[in-house]
Amino acid sequence: MWTYLVVSALKTTFPSTAQLPGLDQLDTTRHVRTILAQSNWTMWAGTVGSALAFHLLPIATVYWPLPALFLPAQVRDRHAQRMATHPWYGVRMIMMMIKTIGGLVWGAAPQVRTPLAMPLYPADPGTHRDDAMQPVRPG
Amino acid sequence: MPQGQHLGFRPGPDLELSCDYLVIGSGAGGASAAIVLARAGYSVVVAEAGPWRQPEDYPSSMHGTMRDMFADWGTLVATGDSIIPVVQARVVGGTPVINSAIVVRTPADVLQSWREDHGMGDVFSEEAMGRIHDRVERELQIQTTDWAIAGPSADTMLQGLRRLGKQVHPIDRNVAGCKGAMQCLQGCKNRSKQTANLLWLPELIAQHGGTVLSCAPVHKILWQGDTAVGAQGRMREPTTRRAGAPFRIQARRGVLVAASATGTAPLLQRSGVQLPALGRFFRGHPGAGIVGVYDQPKDMHVGASQATASVHHRLDHGIKLESLSLPLELFAARVSGAGQSLITKLGDYRRCAMWVTAVRAEAEGTVRQTWWGGTAVTYAPTRKDLERLRFGSKLLAQAHFEMGARKVWPGVVGLPTEIGPDQLDAFDSAPLSNRSWTWVLSHLFGGAVMGGDPQRSVVGPDLVVRGKKQLHVVDAALLPTTLGVNPQHTIMAVAALIAERLANSSPSS
Repeated sequence: MWTYLVVSALKTTFPSTAQLPGLDQLDTTRHVRTILAQSNWTMWAGTVGSALAFHLLPIATVYWPLPALFLPAQVRDRHAQRMATHPWYGVRMIMMMIKTIGGLVWGAAPQVRTPLAMPLYPADPGTHRDDAMQPVRPG
Repeated sequence: MPQGQHLGFRPGPDLELSCDYLVIGSGAGGASAAIVLARAGYSVVVAEAGPWRQPEDYPSSMHGTMRDMFADWGTLVATGDSIIPVVQARVVGGTPVINSAIVVRTPADVLQSWREDHGMGDVFSEEAMGRIHDRVERELQIQTTDWAIAGPSADTMLQGLRRLGKQVHPIDRNVAGCKGAMQCLQGCKNRSKQTANLLWLPELIAQHGGTVLSCAPVHKILWQGDTAVGAQGRMREPTTRRAGAPFRIQARRGVLVAASATGTAPLLQRSGVQLPALGRFFRGHPGAGIVGVYDQPKDMHVGASQATASVHHRLDHGIKLESLSLPLELFAARVSGAGQSLITKLGDYRRCAMWVTAVRAEAEGTVRQTWWGGTAVTYAPTRKDLERLRFGSKLLAQAHFEMGARKVWPGVVGLPTEIGPDQLDAFDSAPLSNRSWTWVLSHLFGGAVMGGDPQRSVVGPDLVVRGKKQLHVVDAALLPTTLGVNPQHTIMAVAALIAERLANSSPSS
């Protein structure tokens, strides 16, 4: 459920446009699952808490008494934009967290980097060194 | 001298080591002090909380960087009246592994202030610091950025500030053979950046019989009366964060703490050090960026992450200006807006150039241990700091327009999201509120500062923690002032000078 809430908030924040694909066209669920599984508790709580707040706050931004999940696409987009520019600092910080996580997924995606003619990232090794300085794979 | 060793994570059994000097932390300060002591013939153990990663292990994406290189995923923040991210690494080699490799000598006015305002006498004289700077610059192959790989954003900034009549220069960096791959912030996979995990620590092991413990966060310092005689902790696996073998390191001659400006004071606190100045006088160079949007590509994804700097207004306005190319992933969070408007803006990424104002802030904060074992940083830039930021931001916007930018994105709540060349004066009314600006804190100082006043310092002019024996601080926590320039060269020099004094005070075993 947490993954679903986070993915939904990220897709609204990073939608597809005519020029670039958004998180709705990428394998966002797999990436978010990975981040939530790897992150420490502060990061996990910040990510999930921000997503939860994102879904609960349309009443304060677009004045719809519904979670963001159930809003029409255009209204959901307006909700995201208003959260990002909201006069309350705490609301903007929630959006900053969502944009940070979304940026990690979106900005590294080959589907985004290719149309921008930017080099693709190789896979992150995720390794470190043991006593003998041999690479250790996470396990 | 016997061959030394690297000891990585192990689940057990208990690990017992002994040495002449224990150095806690392997960043700019810790590694610099360790290699001086090792070359002087002392047996040295370095305990580093993070894992040892070689360039082959460095990530490419920012997801991988936050997971593998940053301390706690980069979640440490300074809180005051706003939330300011604190950027620090947790790997062998410390934050220099993920910084922009900027090297600047300690300014003379800073050394004068330490001498005259902070009661440090001639401990850190210009001559002594200069001698260390010379050696470090040779060993780390310091060179001025090759302009062929600097990148268009840095070049545009250089030209723009020159047109405005400002002193501006290509940055000196500890890199050799930089290919301009824009991977400074993720760790340089081309081995161009000369960092301690590639130079000093392998030398410590291979030539001086030293030991490096990685994945080894120190929990507390061990005492015999008031004398520091070692430290203990428990290994931690970097991926799963599961606890491993307890370790205990006996140090016959001394313990040098270099756990960073956010780590040293909490370590001393949980080790029972009680001094009125401990955890106080935390300072920094908070900064914020201005994005210029051009018709031509500025390609922040190539070049050096930072290649242009100006200290023209370091003394009169307390600011330094630098180019800072952000990867697309981080840029996405920096650009204002969300939804369709955000993605539309990000489509201009390759035509954007970001330059930052770093403020030599007058703000003072605190750093302390929390009840759950974490670190709490309290820090809020002052109104004067905000005025300095506003001045620098307007200047950078002016330089953008001078170079043909169509518009700038100030990223300041209370200003229009886009400002055109004819709206430059809008910056004069930018809100002087920390909540309106997107600060980031990357240069940190204090928490265990040196000085002559016992009420305002943790370390005295004898370079020993007050009231203790054989306990020294050798990192940015020691510095009693901000510098107004990048601190890694100063931290290395201060740490090396302290280690030299220790080495000269008694013969090695």
